[in-house]
Amino acid sequence: MNESGNKIYAIKTTAKQERTVADNVAKVIEGQKDIRVMAVIAPEELKGYVLVESPDSVARMEQLVEQIPHARAVVRLRGEESYTNLSEVEHFLVPKPVVSGITEGTIVEIIAGPFKGEKAVVKRIDTGKEEITVELYESMVPIPITVRGDSVRVVERSEEAV
Amino acid sequence: MVVRKKQVHVCRECHRVVDGEACVICGTSNLSEDWAGYLVIIDPERSEIARKMNITMAGRYALKVR
Repeated sequence: MNESGNKIYAIKTTAKQERTVADNVAKVIEGQKDIRVMAVIAPEELKGYVLVESPDSVARMEQLVEQIPHARAVVRLRGEESYTNLSEVEHFLVPKPVVSGITEGTIVEIIAGPFKGEKAVVKRIDTGKEEITVELYESMVPIPITVRGDSVRVVERSEEAV
Repeated sequence: MVVRKKQVHVCRECHRVVDGEACVICGTSNLSEDWAGYLVIIDPERSEIARKMNITMAGRYALKVR
């Protein structure tokens, strides 16, 4: 629990309905006073769950889940507390840039777009735009291609980065 | 018939999820369709998350906007 007395609960949702559940929590909360919820997070990295900030007990959260379509259950750990602290989930609030693990010279595989499946070497990284410029590994002529940071998968890191 | 999902826009300045063509808070029309992570602030005064994110108004926000 943090200084404001709020706890963070994880609620399991139907796949791809995280945003709908977050919206519905806000809608349900508006209409009643028994259950208090301060905020709901649906992080991109955490598929199938939403995080609810509330000072109430887990029983109240279960009551809330029953009223929300696509919300399945509150995550409970056997023998342990079923809530966590904000410090454990605050890294979700500041997402890392997708190009953070990539350096110049890294060998990547392109996983989307017309060059899908091709391997390439990273030549330049634009952290602001989250884009990387690569050169295809097997091409005869080196042609620089700029792709989005999330459309590549790291195959082998450059020696400098290790 | 192909049913296209409605694209949700997010204000690039305040990260607020916008329904119309411009952000009602900043007044800017600098909106983005490419965003990730979703945050609903219900009670900004008592929310620790809102304090961490420096959010003072209730509403729907994106965590990451490109």
